[in-house]
Amino acid sequence: MIDWGIIIKALAVLGGAGLLIAIVLLVASLKLSVHVDERETAVRAVLPGANCGACGFPGCDGYAAAVAAGKAPLSACVVGGPNVTRRIGEIMGQDASAAEPNVAFLICRGGRNEAASRFQYKGAADCRQAALLLGGPKACIYGCVGLGHCAKVCPFSAITMGDNGLPVIDERKCTGCGKCVKECPKQTLLLVPRSKLVVLACVSHDKGKAVKDVCKAGCIACNLCIKVCPAQALAMDKNLPVMDFERCVDCGICVHKCPTGSFIDRAPGRPKAVINPNCDGCQTCVKACQFKAIEGEPSKQHKVAADKCIGCGECRKVCPVAAIDMVGALGHSGKAL
Amino acid sequence: MTSQKPSRLSYLTSGIIKENPVLILMIGLCPTLATTTSARDALGMSAAASFVLIFSNVVVSLVRKFVQPSIRIPIFIIIISTFVTIIDYVLQAYQPSLYRVLGVFVPLIVVNCIILGRAEAFAYSHGVFDSFLDGLGNALGFTLALVILGSLREFFAVGTVFGKTLTPNWYRSAPMLFMIFPPGAFFLIGILKALAVKLKLGK
Amino acid sequence: MNLSKIFIGAFLVNNILLMRFIGLCSFFGVSTSLDTSVGMSAAVVFVTMLAAWVCWVLWHALLLPLGLEFLRTAVFILVIAGLVQFVEMFLKKYVRGLYSAMGIYLPLITTNCAILAITFLNVDYGFNLLQATIYALGVGGGYSLAIILFAAIRERLEDSPVSPSFRGYPIAFVGASLISLAFLGFANLFGISI
Repeated sequence: MIDWGIIIKALAVLGGAGLLIAIVLLVASLKLSVHVDERETAVRAVLPGANCGACGFPGCDGYAAAVAAGKAPLSACVVGGPNVTRRIGEIMGQDASAAEPNVAFLICRGGRNEAASRFQYKGAADCRQAALLLGGPKACIYGCVGLGHCAKVCPFSAITMGDNGLPVIDERKCTGCGKCVKECPKQTLLLVPRSKLVVLACVSHDKGKAVKDVCKAGCIACNLCIKVCPAQALAMDKNLPVMDFERCVDCGICVHKCPTGSFIDRAPGRPKAVINPNCDGCQTCVKACQFKAIEGEPSKQHKVAADKCIGCGECRKVCPVAAIDMVGALGHSGKAL
Repeated sequence: MTSQKPSRLSYLTSGIIKENPVLILMIGLCPTLATTTSARDALGMSAAASFVLIFSNVVVSLVRKFVQPSIRIPIFIIIISTFVTIIDYVLQAYQPSLYRVLGVFVPLIVVNCIILGRAEAFAYSHGVFDSFLDGLGNALGFTLALVILGSLREFFAVGTVFGKTLTPNWYRSAPMLFMIFPPGAFFLIGILKALAVKLKLGK
Repeated sequence: MNLSKIFIGAFLVNNILLMRFIGLCSFFGVSTSLDTSVGMSAAVVFVTMLAAWVCWVLWHALLLPLGLEFLRTAVFILVIAGLVQFVEMFLKKYVRGLYSAMGIYLPLITTNCAILAITFLNVDYGFNLLQATIYALGVGGGYSLAIILFAAIRERLEDSPVSPSFRGYPIAFVGASLISLAFLGFANLFGISI
């Protein structure tokens, strides 16, 4: 006894439902289709595809969409660099100028040799977790934890942990994407322009003995750097000198004057001052040199002691007869020269 | 090592241990954890799912030449739901106590990742007999995993396996009830998976 | 059953993931990061509500009166699949913000046991439309709670020294077992049985 009635009803309902859904989806796929700007696809094709987020947009797809919509600067892809910026400019039909490239830099010098430990940490090997435990195992609570979270998150494998327990950044691989800066729980990584030569490497807000007790290389807030800076580029804030990158001329005087060596000079080499026969012995340069590197009697040819000269160029600035030349490593003589 | 076309037999055997859907591939977990409170229920569940798996694999393979790639998923779902409806009513009629225990997990067989997965990955691109073997192999693997889990849970929590008492009185007066409850299921499958990894069963 | 009991039951006492084991495949796959878990929860709550309404209406207005109860499985799953597909297209065009937040999770939800389970349970428990809505909300909320808690734990587990055979899924399951144990403590809360 086959109940044909129910079979027909079942077929009708199921068939009808299927047909209805199919029609609705078909109509929807036509009416709700989203038109994708072909420029967006073209821009996306020239992007590196690392999805690092340095541009500030959600991944390469997000940046391509924003560029095509005219809502993003053409030079935001730091990873792709000027090459990609130029190609994006070609696609969008606009002139694109690249932004100054940055590189990641560790602003802490407190490795195993310099900084003491408060306790032996036996937890998960992650900086963020160690930092949660009383500020980390390092005696200085501001400093780099040294467990390598930055190395783990770098999308370009530009960071490795050095023997001293501090991260070492390979500047050739670093693209300045800023991921490590964001991820560091202690904020001891900073993006600096590649052309910046002198950077303060300490983040401790303590001063004097409190710093000396915990780290040999920490800034003790002695204010000496502020006094010796010829460009007045340094100002004290919460026991740390803040550097005005616009004013700083990278002369390197603070690097040598700092008693704890808290400044780092990124220049591979510095020039030396040499005095030519134009010298009339006015002694102006002798007084100007902060390192007593120039010897000379009045009205006699002065001479620079090369071992004491740091190549800051202050003497050259003040010489009235243009008798001083800076020689060697001219590419790293800072903005002053 | 030269790669050879997998033999007919391997279609059957790979689903049992090497590519056991539950223990190695970790799919189809919902019914695995929910219905293994006793070995008998586990066997019942795996029998129902096996029925659907084998038959749907065969039917999908039979119609594969007529199904357009763009609408294959809805077609698979219709085929699978047909067999699920059949087993649903069969269990209601002939095994009402089992049906009450399995509850909502019988209709949920239709969204079981294993069945849809095998249809998509194998039956759609292989012949009928091979699909039958693949379905059978995966069904056996699924049954094996479920029965092991069910037996362990029943053993620790009640002291019996398939109703047969295997533990002394002093144990049964204070058993590991934890195993019957959800936390026990999660815990046990974690241990089993760790064991599978340690024994390199998936390699 | 009054509404608050339905909600608490679905949200805590009979938590869909940790107590009823429904929706586990996506649970373990998506919970590796907190951000994806939040996106997934949003999608689940959204689709659960819609699916609950549509299927409830279909059941009471079409299948029941025509005596076609046996078509329940086929009709519900087809409707859910079509609904999710439609919603994805609609969001992509008209609600871009919501689409970018949870759009990519929508295809994962089609075969999520949780959605289908709600539609079936609404019928089995004999809920009226309001009760069904509250139940769907409770289940969606319970799913979100469980997955977000679990994701936070899994992120910490990633950095922890876990022995080799337990890395990945095994230790995640043990972790889930402990959370489930915590939720077991809600049993018989306000007289709601598990």
